[in-house]
Amino acid sequence: MDFSFFITQTISGLTMATLLFLVASGLTLIFGVGNVFNFAHGSFYMVGAYFGYQLVSIWELNFWVALILAGLGAGVVGMLAESLFLRRIYGRVNEGGFQILLTYCFILIIDDLVKLVWGTEYKSLPRPKGFSGALNFGDIYLPSYNLVIIAVGLIVVVASWWILTRTRPGKIARAAAVDREMVDTLGVNVPLTMTLVFGIATALGGMAGALAAPLRTVTPGAGVEVIIDSLIVVVLGGMGNFWGAWLGALLIGEVNAFAVAFLPKWASLFSFLVMVIVLIFKPEGLFSPRQVRKV
Amino acid sequence: MRNKRLFICFVVAILAFIVVPFCVNAEDKTIKIGALYPMTGRAGLYGKDSVAAAEMAIDEINSKGGVAGYKIDITFTDSKVKPAYAVRVAKRYITEDKVNFLFGVVSSGVGLAVTEISNQYKTIFVGTDHASTRLTVDNFQPYYFRVSNNTFQSMTAGALYLKELAETKPWKKIAFIGPDYAYGHSQWDEIRYNLDRYGVEYEVVGEYWPKIYAPDYTSYITSILKDKPDVLISGFWGGDTVAFIKQAQAYGLFKKTLYFHPDAGGNYELMSAMGAELPDGLVLGARHYNNWPETDRNRNFVQEFQKRTGRFPTYAAQGAYAGIYAIANAVKAVGNPDDTEALVKALEGLKISLPEDPEGFTSYIRPETHQITQVMAIGTTMANGDFPPAKKMLGNWKIYKAEDLVPPVEYLEEKRKK
Repeated sequence: MDFSFFITQTISGLTMATLLFLVASGLTLIFGVGNVFNFAHGSFYMVGAYFGYQLVSIWELNFWVALILAGLGAGVVGMLAESLFLRRIYGRVNEGGFQILLTYCFILIIDDLVKLVWGTEYKSLPRPKGFSGALNFGDIYLPSYNLVIIAVGLIVVVASWWILTRTRPGKIARAAAVDREMVDTLGVNVPLTMTLVFGIATALGGMAGALAAPLRTVTPGAGVEVIIDSLIVVVLGGMGNFWGAWLGALLIGEVNAFAVAFLPKWASLFSFLVMVIVLIFKPEGLFSPRQVRKV
Repeated sequence: MRNKRLFICFVVAILAFIVVPFCVNAEDKTIKIGALYPMTGRAGLYGKDSVAAAEMAIDEINSKGGVAGYKIDITFTDSKVKPAYAVRVAKRYITEDKVNFLFGVVSSGVGLAVTEISNQYKTIFVGTDHASTRLTVDNFQPYYFRVSNNTFQSMTAGALYLKELAETKPWKKIAFIGPDYAYGHSQWDEIRYNLDRYGVEYEVVGEYWPKIYAPDYTSYITSILKDKPDVLISGFWGGDTVAFIKQAQAYGLFKKTLYFHPDAGGNYELMSAMGAELPDGLVLGARHYNNWPETDRNRNFVQEFQKRTGRFPTYAAQGAYAGIYAIANAVKAVGNPDDTEALVKALEGLKISLPEDPEGFTSYIRPETHQITQVMAIGTTMANGDFPPAKKMLGNWKIYKAEDLVPPVEYLEEKRKK
């Protein structure tokens, strides 16, 4: 294998990994802090993609502004879903079952709403100005938009690390993850914290959707298509662990990239194989959720 | 006062629900069709277009007084793209609703399940969209008919295109990418079978099988670039084509390799989704085009559809439209929709003029396979703003004769032996 191909393939794996991480990060955040498995997280990704389409292709807004607005928009939808519906089932007996039922309903409802507003036709976004080409070093092609995606992913990782470990709201969120009642007793408005965390997580999903839209098909059902791979990443990293999700995404992205190159017929098998192997030797995922929460 | 009015409305509504079904039952001269189409997720687009086009055909026929004294009555149910669920609906259609025909289906997986029910209950199933050749060859049964092209036909046209291409622009190395299920695999098998059949020489440098609806193809693209094929044969379906082309564009794939996608690449929804971003010079095919053939029949079909729905049709629409007319013509020939064996006879070898037919050709159903036989065209993407929001459409057409595209008899025998 020559070196330039190795670089190209690594970068393409990294692009996939970053988009995977951006979706999975929200999923794992909600699970880690709120203890909610949000089956509908992919639908917020889809909503973000449609918001991006509406803002850029119909209202002709600047792409980067649209990216932020689409994320915020999905976050608002997320907060509404949390405060109007999800909040009502916290603490019930068999909460897990209710969570899956309710968030599965979200998938169906959001899919139908999207169809009502935008129709079933496939939509797509043009790449932002100045990012439609590729950087070229000899044999190495690096599409500039793919590099943007990777950069956004890094920014999100660093910003989240800073917020979760260095700021008061971040510390409250982490504390709430460990013991909701205790944090409540200390005078923190826990329901509001939950709503905000849900909002941030769905905003991350929505932004991932808008960011991916110039490279993917914007269509009803797009949410369900990303949720399985994100779930693999979340389980790999340790349910609810932010850094685990990042590492899991990198692992899946790169394993997939090189499996495609060398064993294309079996490529789709490998991400599951990685999950199986990790779960056999470390059933709690790469990072045990408990340990890291205590940092 | 207000409450009273509301109450009256309520009573009227309830009465309407009770009485209306009786009215329909009272009028017993109907051709009953039970249709299955996906209404959700990605395939929902094709389902919605099929429903609109089938209703359009039914309105045309019923407004002229129906056929042989019968009006057409159709029921649509969401197939949910789940074979087991579709089978339950098909059985209910036959045993409870007493339909004369099963109809529709976009997914070949669902089609293969429903054709078994059709055979078991001896009820005719008119397939309007799903393309797997297995339904008319390997899993053929006497009550199944298909009114849209299958992958064998488009892959034969594809092989002939590549054969001609070799004369003007020599190529040798090919790679394939397509979804990892029956539809993708049969395209790859059939194009190679046909290239061999026509004595075309080629060398396979890569084969790629992403999952259907996979959102990300970057790793596949960089790997294809490494293989350096002259022609990339693509078997993508639905919006996957959009994602692949967008991701491959930035890598400059289309400058180095000819993108060749003869079965579903030329679908209008690709053009409408990508607008000006769609690269020129991609070679694509589809089962129906909005701008070919340039006959009045096709123009009227496309305009009527656009008037009804506010959008231009995807290929699926013409299949559903054709299906309704095939049923109407068969019932006309037999005189009633109840004599199934006579209807099978009438459908075998039925000649039917469709929007898709170019001047001087009439589509017909081949008796050996119950598969419609049609002229096919393959085109190249170029600027054309006549069908907004698309900014590019296909042009520079290459036309292939219907008789040349059907599977040869020895192919049928070999496949059916198994």
